Amino acid sequence: MTRIKKKGTSGAAKNYITRTRAVKKLQISLPDFRRLCIFKGIYPREPRNKKKVSKGSTAATTFYYTKDIQYLLHEPLLNKFREHKAVAKKIGRALGRGEIGDAARLEKTHIPKIKLDHIIKERYPTFIDALRDLDDALSMLCLFANLPSTPHVPPKTIALCQRLCHEFEHYVIVSHSLRKSFLSIKGIYYQATIQGQDIMWLVPYRFVQRTGGDIDFRIMGTFVEFYTTLLGFVNFRLYTSIGLVYPPKFNAKSDEDGGELGAFQLEGKVVPREDKPTTNDDAPQAITSAEAQAEADKVAALAISEQEKEDETSTALVKADSEENTEAIDTFETTAQDADILPQPQASSSEIASLFAPFTIYLSRETPRAPLEFILKAFGCKRVGWDGILGDGAFTTNESDPAITHQIVDRPALPSESLPQVPDVAETETRGAAPPKAQWPRSTMPGRTYVQPQWVWDCINQAKLLRPDLYAPGAELPPHLNPWVKPKKGQYDPNVPLEEQELEGEAEAFEDDEEEIEGKVSDVEEVQPTKDGALAGVEAIIDRDSSVEAGEGMDVAGSESESSNSDSVSDQEAGGDEWEGFDSEPESEISDTEAARRQHQRELEAEATGSAVQLAATTTKSKNAEIRKKAEKKRKQEQEEKERLKMMLPRRKRKLLERIEYGANKRDKEAEVLRKKRRRIENAKRAAEAV
Amino acid sequence: MAANSRKRKAVTRDSPLDSASEEELAEGLLEGILSHSEGESEDGQDQEDVESSEIEGESDEDEDEDEDDEGLESDKVPSDSEENIREQIRNLRTTDVPLEKRTSQLTHEDEIDSTLNGKLEAAPEEEELKCNYTVTTDANGNPRYLYKEINPVYDSDDSDAPETTNTIGNIPLSYYNAYPHIGYDINGKKIMRPAKGEALDALLDSIDIPKGWTGLTDPATGKPLELSQEELEVLKKITRNEIPEEGYDPYPDMVHYFSGKEEIMPLSAAPEPKRRFVPSKHEAKRVMKIVKAIREGRIQPYKPPAEEEEEQDFQVYDIWADEVPRPDHDMHIPAPKMPPPAYDESYHPPPEYLPDKDEKAAWQEADEEDRETEYLPTDHDALRKVPGYDRFVKEKFERCLDLYLAPRVRRNKLNIDPESLLPKLPSPEELRPFPTTCAVIFRSHEGRVRSVSIDPRGNLLASGGDDGYVRVWELLTGRQLWNVKLSDEDAVDAVRWRPGKDVAILAAAAGESIYLIVPFAILSPDVEQSSRDILDAGWGYAASNPSSSANGTTTKELPARWSRPGDHLEDKGVLVQATVRSAVKVINWHRRGEYLATVSPRGQSSSVAIHTLSKHLTQLPFRRLKGLAQSAQFHPSKPIFFVATKNSIRSYDLARQELVKILQPGAKWISSFDVHPGGDNIIVGTYDKRLLWHDLDLSTKPYKTLRYHKEAIRAVRFHQGGLPLFADASDDGSLQIFHGKVVGDLMENATIVPLKVLRGHQVKSRLGVMDIDWHPREPWCVSAGADGTCRLWN
Repeated sequence: MTRIKKKGTSGAAKNYITRTRAVKKLQISLPDFRRLCIFKGIYPREPRNKKKVSKGSTAATTFYYTKDIQYLLHEPLLNKFREHKAVAKKIGRALGRGEIGDAARLEKTHIPKIKLDHIIKERYPTFIDALRDLDDALSMLCLFANLPSTPHVPPKTIALCQRLCHEFEHYVIVSHSLRKSFLSIKGIYYQATIQGQDIMWLVPYRFVQRTGGDIDFRIMGTFVEFYTTLLGFVNFRLYTSIGLVYPPKFNAKSDEDGGELGAFQLEGKVVPREDKPTTNDDAPQAITSAEAQAEADKVAALAISEQEKEDETSTALVKADSEENTEAIDTFETTAQDADILPQPQASSSEIASLFAPFTIYLSRETPRAPLEFILKAFGCKRVGWDGILGDGAFTTNESDPAITHQIVDRPALPSESLPQVPDVAETETRGAAPPKAQWPRSTMPGRTYVQPQWVWDCINQAKLLRPDLYAPGAELPPHLNPWVKPKKGQYDPNVPLEEQELEGEAEAFEDDEEEIEGKVSDVEEVQPTKDGALAGVEAIIDRDSSVEAGEGMDVAGSESESSNSDSVSDQEAGGDEWEGFDSEPESEISDTEAARRQHQRELEAEATGSAVQLAATTTKSKNAEIRKKAEKKRKQEQEEKERLKMMLPRRKRKLLERIEYGANKRDKEAEVLRKKRRRIENAKRAAEAV
Repeated sequence: MAANSRKRKAVTRDSPLDSASEEELAEGLLEGILSHSEGESEDGQDQEDVESSEIEGESDEDEDEDEDDEGLESDKVPSDSEENIREQIRNLRTTDVPLEKRTSQLTHEDEIDSTLNGKLEAAPEEEELKCNYTVTTDANGNPRYLYKEINPVYDSDDSDAPETTNTIGNIPLSYYNAYPHIGYDINGKKIMRPAKGEALDALLDSIDIPKGWTGLTDPATGKPLELSQEELEVLKKITRNEIPEEGYDPYPDMVHYFSGKEEIMPLSAAPEPKRRFVPSKHEAKRVMKIVKAIREGRIQPYKPPAEEEEEQDFQVYDIWADEVPRPDHDMHIPAPKMPPPAYDESYHPPPEYLPDKDEKAAWQEADEEDRETEYLPTDHDALRKVPGYDRFVKEKFERCLDLYLAPRVRRNKLNIDPESLLPKLPSPEELRPFPTTCAVIFRSHEGRVRSVSIDPRGNLLASGGDDGYVRVWELLTGRQLWNVKLSDEDAVDAVRWRPGKDVAILAAAAGESIYLIVPFAILSPDVEQSSRDILDAGWGYAASNPSSSANGTTTKELPARWSRPGDHLEDKGVLVQATVRSAVKVINWHRRGEYLATVSPRGQSSSVAIHTLSKHLTQLPFRRLKGLAQSAQFHPSKPIFFVATKNSIRSYDLARQELVKILQPGAKWISSFDVHPGGDNIIVGTYDKRLLWHDLDLSTKPYKTLRYHKEAIRAVRFHQGGLPLFADASDDGSLQIFHGKVVGDLMENATIVPLKVLRGHQVKSRLGVMDIDWHPREPWCVSAGADGTCRLWN
């Protein structure tokens, strides 16, 4: 007979360990344990059967995996923590005795330095693993790079974070691996693809961050400590992989002048080649005059064109036939319908990388320089200039430089008379420090394109240059869309026209709804208080309907659209009364017959008065209703069929199905709300245009 | 003294016979009466004075009582010792006071009796006392006192009669201030003013208290307890809770018995030893040891760690220099990435994403934890108007908490998006390298080039064309090295190099014949020799086993005739000729080079033949083949043989000799096919313009059908050297290069990406590219065109 097994000695009870027990086992304090867990990436687990694990107690506890904790037992950092504790005691004693010098010496020489190299290697056995986990690291470091220094966040940490982030940005620029970016209300999202790994990070806007509330900076500091080490190694590897020296030369003075990216000078490992991408070789040469700059540009352009010519000749040699053979992938067209269409990657990165290459772009003073500089450079623009106020390292700080092709402005266009006149703007073609010419918004340079910052983002997200006139200063910008969301089936997609997304009969239903709403124009006003144009449009619709309803004839409508709001409201209300019976219960058969009866009645009346207008109006209405009814009936049938099928399912499967459907239903509902909103807006716009 | 007083009382009550005491008693009584009556005060005082010496001891109680009164009335605090003593005594004797009162009452009783009787003189009083009882003799002859009956008349018992009450009524006593009395009693007698403080003091002062008198009895001796002044003092201090002894200090200053103070006189007078003046040898030894260590460099002099540390902080190196991928632990759950932002997070979202008034209010009212999104979509019409996001740090902090504090659970997602299962398209950079340009053109053939093949070493290209020539070229330069005309009337339909790098044998098919060629004088001698050896080995076999062939001839026609091609061909290096029954269109070698399969589509039962090189033997594996055989190929690793007929591909297990699988590409006419080096995937080209990818593990139907060509596909070929490439050649004069990556993982489908269309061949009489072959290692391919050229693409 076997021995009776004791409970709680094997299985889940053994596999999991509570946090208290873990801390006791490791013989460290809770904060140290927390640090260790953060460094080692150990996290609590949720046991499948909590009761078995907690041996019957129902108190809420955190469980760790026992193996994880055992693995922590061998961690060299544990010893460091203990040493640190011992030294801290000594320092405390010295301070208690008032021996400040001793304490300082102990702190300087005896506090053990914690190195995280082995942990990085352990957690990320391959470089790809590290890249995969870089999202959080970059977001965190970018945040800390933008924080003000406090006792919790020493300036040294901030400087380190800034340095690492800039180094990483330099790599992204040089390797052209930035893919997408997105301006959100939280900050700016970037996505780079490095060695096949998508890395997305979020950089806050440059404002003072609110750090109040219950934010424990010790925890964040621990994370930052780990992430800085990680990013240091990643940067090293990235730089060496493209043949650059790491760390890049750091120009402290330039950094102090707000050079940011420009404060770093990248160097090749060997003799720098011709096409070595040195991002800021222009930066140190202080460009004094516009003419000198123009000359330099010409020379640069010549070099480029020569290079191109050379390329052409060299390729011409290879090209035996008339067909051009490029490195790029060809697009394949299917010749028949029954074939599968294989997806091909979009235009290669080299094309996108040179999106802004031919331009010289100038950033106005009010634009966010750091993100624009980063993005423009990452997409091939070598010549980015900005106002001297924005910091060091600009290609040019002269706004009237004729080489500038694009200027990014974020100021509203003002009427010219509202601006003070600048005297003598014409004759300033003198050499040297030419007084600045009248600039935007006073005047525009001929041959220069003025755009708002969003143009840059939309261009890179769509991988092509968009029409700049849509983004002209003062123009109403097209909506800035997120490049990552891939709408699932049934989800609302703002890119697709409304008609393609709507369900059958939805548009008609909407129209009817709208009329119902029109009965209370005040409602509409509340929904769209800001959009005057939209409101006017709605009114216009109302006017037309009501006038028709009243049977007065079309001539009134034109004049009434300009008439005051109250007029139209009263008119509408007069019309709305007539419709009440119909709209309140649109589905019921009775109401339909009622409507038919009324219709008949109205026809009779019309006959009596001798007007024939009503007929047309009512027919569109009834047609709408018909379509809607049909669609609804169909939907109802489908629903019933589904219900019937569901009845056949066993309970467990039915529940599963319901759970799956829950999400889908929610999505559908959201999509419907959005579609409804969009239809309303579109209708309003159309009406406004019609007026 | 208490005993005394008790004795006296007993006397006053119980011993009226005692004559002497009677006298005294009577006097005492009188005295009491006198003391109360004004008139006789003088006499009484005198008598008292006279008798005072006698009664002194007994009348103490009265005095004490008076003293008591005096103590009560006079608030004078006793200042000197005598008065203190009195006070103490008074306190001690308070218990006796009621007794005395009783005695005084008794005396009053007597007094009242006497007043009742109305007899003022003492004698009649005595009489009356005597009359009180009569003495008789009892039976024993002893005197017996017979008391008179008490007549219980009114007033006979005045025990509860009030004391002398003043009868002055309700008038202030101050009226009597001038008089010695204070009123009148019930009998009209004056009530004398009681003695006041000064009088009593005077009396008490006159009485002198013996020194040390305490009024207590020493319990040990029975004598009156006498206490000295010192003893009293002690008692007094004890009662005050003070320390009794004079000059005693309860908190004396500490005296250091052992101090650090150096005494003048040493304890020991021994002289200082010499060693105290001589340098220590031991120390010198140790110092020398250290000096030596420093000299040898074993001990480094202390250097304060300075700025080096700062540098060390940023010390980075290639930590992944020797990276080894390590599979994740089964229980490891990687932290989920942050989801990408939604549409409504945009700074300028489409207007339909903006919340209306109700939604905004609902969001603002909701508790922070109940909100679906942590932000409210807002529209800013310009980038400059975007404010800072005030929850940024908090969100990052929460992310940190999630990373290290949140238990991770693997949950099965219910609605798995089918799109998420699609493989991610690799980037164009990752698809490289692939052939893009035409590098070399090989011109010499007249008419179409039917077939090309690159030798396993990758140096030579063999081609065969309609002109009946087999030509061998140097691949990189395009120089023709060698050629031979195999046949005048038949075209060379197929050329194939034998696999294996150590020999170079070319198999070529022209008409019904298969020629095995070792190109003469272009190979290194040892390669040529070993190639010839392989081919020659078969002759010996055929010679040693003539019986089998003899049997064959008797039963039926031989599947193939192996012979020498003739001198002029042999001189060129064409060593073996095997003639089969019908025209051979396709040759494919087995991977080891021992066998080769030929297909002659017209040959019905003999359409597919497998030739054994070392035995010069030909076998016909199929007695009857369903459909028209188009191509045949060996599996790259397993003993499986694929045969393509007009519209299906069959795979046969050679070891077990059975049909394994029938693939149905759904094509009308298969032109060619190729097996992926991994062996699990097949591409099929068809004359009906389709290219089909078959995954043998998936199904018998094609995994992908590709229709990118406008004309028939003649040849398809996988890259055999490890690059995920394949190509097809079509009659529209183009080659198409595809990326076809097959992953070992069964769950993941193959990734196929179209890469490149290579145009260059001219279409002649509706024929474009006839054949294609890949370089064994490089991403180069060679195509054979109907225009009489071969082209190398890289």
